[in-house]
Amino acid sequence: MHSGLNISQTDDRPMYLQIMEQIRQRIAAGDWEAGKELPSIRALAADLRVSVITVKRAYLDLESEGVIVTRHGKGSFVADAGGLAGEIHEQKLDEHLAAAAGIARLLGHSDDELHARLRRAKRNLDRK
Amino acid sequence: MSTGNLIEMRGVRKAFRFFTLEDLTLDLAPGQIMGFVGPNGAGKSTTIRLMLGMLGADAGEIRLLGSPMPEAQALAKRDVGFVSDTMRLFPQASLGWHLSFVASIYPRWDSAYAAQLVKRFNLRLEQTVRGLSSGEHAKAALLLALARRPRLLVLDEPTAGLDPVARHEVLTELMDVLRDESRSILFSSHNTVDVERISDTITFLDRGRIVESRDKEQFLDAWRRIQLRVPPGSTLPELPNIVNRIDDGQFTTLTTNGFTESVLPLLGERVREVQRMSLEEIFVATVMHHRETRS
Amino acid sequence: MSLVTRKLIAKELFVNRWFIAGGMFSGIVSVLIATLGRAGFNVGALMWMTTIIAMGVMLAIYGVMNERKEQSLQFVLGLPLSIAEYVRAKLVGLLLCYLIPWAVSSVAAIVLIVTTGVPDGLLPYTVLLCVFLLTNFALVLCGVLHAKTESVVAGAVVVTNMFVSLYMFVIASVPGLGDHMQDPVPAWNRAVFTILAIELCMLAVALVLPLLVAARRRDFL
Repeated sequence: MHSGLNISQTDDRPMYLQIMEQIRQRIAAGDWEAGKELPSIRALAADLRVSVITVKRAYLDLESEGVIVTRHGKGSFVADAGGLAGEIHEQKLDEHLAAAAGIARLLGHSDDELHARLRRAKRNLDRK
Repeated sequence: MSTGNLIEMRGVRKAFRFFTLEDLTLDLAPGQIMGFVGPNGAGKSTTIRLMLGMLGADAGEIRLLGSPMPEAQALAKRDVGFVSDTMRLFPQASLGWHLSFVASIYPRWDSAYAAQLVKRFNLRLEQTVRGLSSGEHAKAALLLALARRPRLLVLDEPTAGLDPVARHEVLTELMDVLRDESRSILFSSHNTVDVERISDTITFLDRGRIVESRDKEQFLDAWRRIQLRVPPGSTLPELPNIVNRIDDGQFTTLTTNGFTESVLPLLGERVREVQRMSLEEIFVATVMHHRETRS
Repeated sequence: MSLVTRKLIAKELFVNRWFIAGGMFSGIVSVLIATLGRAGFNVGALMWMTTIIAMGVMLAIYGVMNERKEQSLQFVLGLPLSIAEYVRAKLVGLLLCYLIPWAVSSVAAIVLIVTTGVPDGLLPYTVLLCVFLLTNFALVLCGVLHAKTESVVAGAVVVTNMFVSLYMFVIASVPGLGDHMQDPVPAWNRAVFTILAIELCMLAVALVLPLLVAARRRDFL
């Protein structure tokens, strides 16, 4: 009955986000394949020793992202692939860019400086 | 009332010589865990005793599993397991005796589960209660409450004085109870980490009044620390729901208990960081705020 | 009587089993000692009195006060019972705990008087004394069930024990009693029955009062 998911006490992020991320990772990696049934909200909550409400929120948000599908009375399932992995990665890209923009502002860098840094990063990647 | 809620309180009042509990209103639905927090002396234990019929309210209504309290307490408590950290079992009797005693009273006693718990909690049936360490005693009391498979567990500081391993075991058992969506748990605790993690609803009590009783995620979402840099010459707009403000040169920290995204555009580029707050931080901020507004 | 009440009464008897056994043993032994001549009688009588009184005190204190102090009251009140049922269980349970060794000791004393060389005239006095000691215990129990603090309990115990000495002195001087104690034949006269009636009345009050007052309390903790 163990989901294999894990909530860290020292992770700053709220628990529901941690749960969402871990589920997304497993889906993106292919461990949880399309159509696979997710553990019931109560079972996962008991497993992770977190509140039902937290798991509920994670599932709801994942559903609105299209990562999972909930069938009333039947449970939640991993949504059909069809570019899902792509969606997850697009999201990751947005997250990273938002973080980068935030740091750049903190340092007081201009937009041009930020673009230059991005180009440099790409070049380093291409070289490898 | 009586919508299947396991606990209901409406406008409950209880006066003591130096302290009054006032206007207590709360609901505990089935399948929920309610975390009950508040500073010492806020009235948590007293509220719990009112719920269980050990004290009679001066005004208001209390229903436990649908039965009015304290009048119908004998009936209601058939499905309740109560454990408090100040509670003691009969010192002269053994743990095994206690198991038989409780088993003979509760028809839903699960002896297989009880045996499992004895092993899991590392207890011995032959030991007299007098000889148990405080941690073992706490686990024994919990065992006796859990093995009755009650619909409602009421716990007053269930993990106080337990070592981390014991705490882990206890929390695992508690969360296991919640696999059944008809059962609920009310627990009061100073351990804000646990409360934050496993509660569905958080009820905050301070000085005899319920300050908040709310969905945990919503509660945590409402509180933020906003770190701002306010350049000289610029002033901050008046914002509602600011509980605390600390100014340090150009840097200001605002604590808000009514955070919404719409606040951010009002603050614009001054915002450096928006931080979530742990339950412990919220706890301290709330109590400090109350003390300030009173004086 | 509900299941929980019966279980609690059984628990009372179980938890106090050594008191009960010790009381019975001591009561019988003291009566046996009392058969050993004049000196034996005095020693035995004193031991008999001490046993019955001490048992009463210990049951009252350990039976009620300690439960409150040791906070096993919270455990009991968490069980499916009302405050009234708790008071009833306590009353009946502790009364039974006392009754058993009391009955054994009283019967032993009566047998001693009737079968040995001790003048049978002592019988009415002894019966009155036995009933008095039972009533005394009931009064202490009644007080303890109503008391809210330990000091009240201690006070009740002290006061009622003072009564014992007072009683023994006063009763012996009641006309119709003291004068017949050394007779070979017991004198069941009016004085005896009047005092007996008074004692039984007080016993009844002591046992009924908690059911009417303490049981109606809304605040027990």
